Amino acid sequence: MTCAEFQRELPDFLEEGGASELRAHLKVCPICSGLVASLQSIVNEARFLQDSAEPSPRVWNSIEIALRREGLIRQPQPQVHRSLFPFLTRRWGYAAWLAPVAALLLVGSAFFLYQRPGKNHKIADNSRVQMMSAMPSLGASDSDEQLLQEVSARAPMMRTAYENNLRDVNAYIRDAQDSVNANPNDEEAQQALMDAYGQKSMIYEMALDRSLQ
Amino acid sequence: MERSYQITITVAVLFALTALAVAQNKKEYRFNVGAKATISIINQYGAVTVRPSTGNYVLVNATTYSDKVEVDQTQSGNRIDVQSHLFDGATPENSRVDYEVQVPADASVTLRSTTGPLRAEKLHGDVEMEGSTATVEVRDISDSHVHVKTMNGPVTLNNIRDGHVEIDSVSGDVSLISVSGPLVRVSSTSGTIRYDGDFGYAGEYRFNSHSGDIDATIPADASVDVKAQSVKGKVQDDVPMQPKTHTSFLAREGSSFAGTINKAASSVWLRTFSGKIHLKKRQ
Repeated sequence: MTCAEFQRELPDFLEEGGASELRAHLKVCPICSGLVASLQSIVNEARFLQDSAEPSPRVWNSIEIALRREGLIRQPQPQVHRSLFPFLTRRWGYAAWLAPVAALLLVGSAFFLYQRPGKNHKIADNSRVQMMSAMPSLGASDSDEQLLQEVSARAPMMRTAYENNLRDVNAYIRDAQDSVNANPNDEEAQQALMDAYGQKSMIYEMALDRSLQ
Repeated sequence: MERSYQITITVAVLFALTALAVAQNKKEYRFNVGAKATISIINQYGAVTVRPSTGNYVLVNATTYSDKVEVDQTQSGNRIDVQSHLFDGATPENSRVDYEVQVPADASVTLRSTTGPLRAEKLHGDVEMEGSTATVEVRDISDSHVHVKTMNGPVTLNNIRDGHVEIDSVSGDVSLISVSGPLVRVSSTSGTIRYDGDFGYAGEYRFNSHSGDIDATIPADASVDVKAQSVKGKVQDDVPMQPKTHTSFLAREGSSFAGTINKAASSVWLRTFSGKIHLKKRQ
């Protein structure tokens, strides 16, 4: 089984565990196993978000509006083939995994953006710092490499531009993260980290648009 | 020998021009709309230019250069969607479409192109533009939202009044000339941010960058409350200001400054990690 075939079946794998052939591929392929680990981290971090500091309904509404505008979610249609992400597999094929990664970056950005200091200021600060600490570990390098492979396959001339910009943005995230770690209550450092993730989210969104072609 | 070479070149050029003229296909689409129409142009490769029309109509002139692409267009009431539709075998070269679009001045427009360039002028509806390598130019816009996203395409905004302006560019240079409004925000990773204007009145201006430089040029009568910080780089201010003794960050000589100029009507926050910040007075 190739990586492309595995990633085509990825939504089913995440939902139902997948066939033995998928699990066998996962054991021998570091790229796909890294990708699955990243996606499982997303699920775990989402639980963490819900437990620690539930954002206001406005946040979820904004995310939903953004995802609908991007075409990532639509009105439910009757489906014979059950899948957690049927629209993704239909639309992007084996590039479907890019969507949840971009969505996570979007969710992360929105989470920081709409959180305002209030009664739970301390809790909010702590959850932000923990969330920010977790985000770079979400398979950034693996995901980036997959993104670059996707760009290479569809528009080879764009690869260098995406590669350079991803490298710069990752450096931005590292520096911003260091600032937050040094001063966890520094609102400006948190804003910078949010901006850095916003920039990375934008690169993924643009790559997703490209994959629509 | 030389003469036959020249003839060969001339024939080849004529042949290429003829082939281009044959392949080039211009189409015009006209839509009648009401007030505050919404127009979306999605074009993978090629230019999109939007100007105001003289009435309540949208006029789209599209030029294609091969049969690997066609123009899809739909109207749903006051909403117009135009999209380049690529066929199998399409490449960036053969699927280019150039759009010249006229819209009512109060229309909201969304423009997307990977390569661009994207241009909009003389509108007062909302303008949203996105392109990874596209050059973006927006000028003479008032009372509207202007949102621009590029990866490495340069962005130039000129004469934007009372705008809600948000620019995100990873590595493209951003240039703002006479741009003012209640909110002007620029976020960049490695591109340079240049501002030349008076920062208006009662607006919030936030320019953030990682490694790109930030240059702001203001007139002597600008009224601002300015804070600037470069975490690892240098800052320089050539404008007389009333220094602030209390800031939200640790002020360090040469890497940050904070102060007010005149009545401090607008709030200006310039921040970079390793770039340089230079605030200077217009000569």
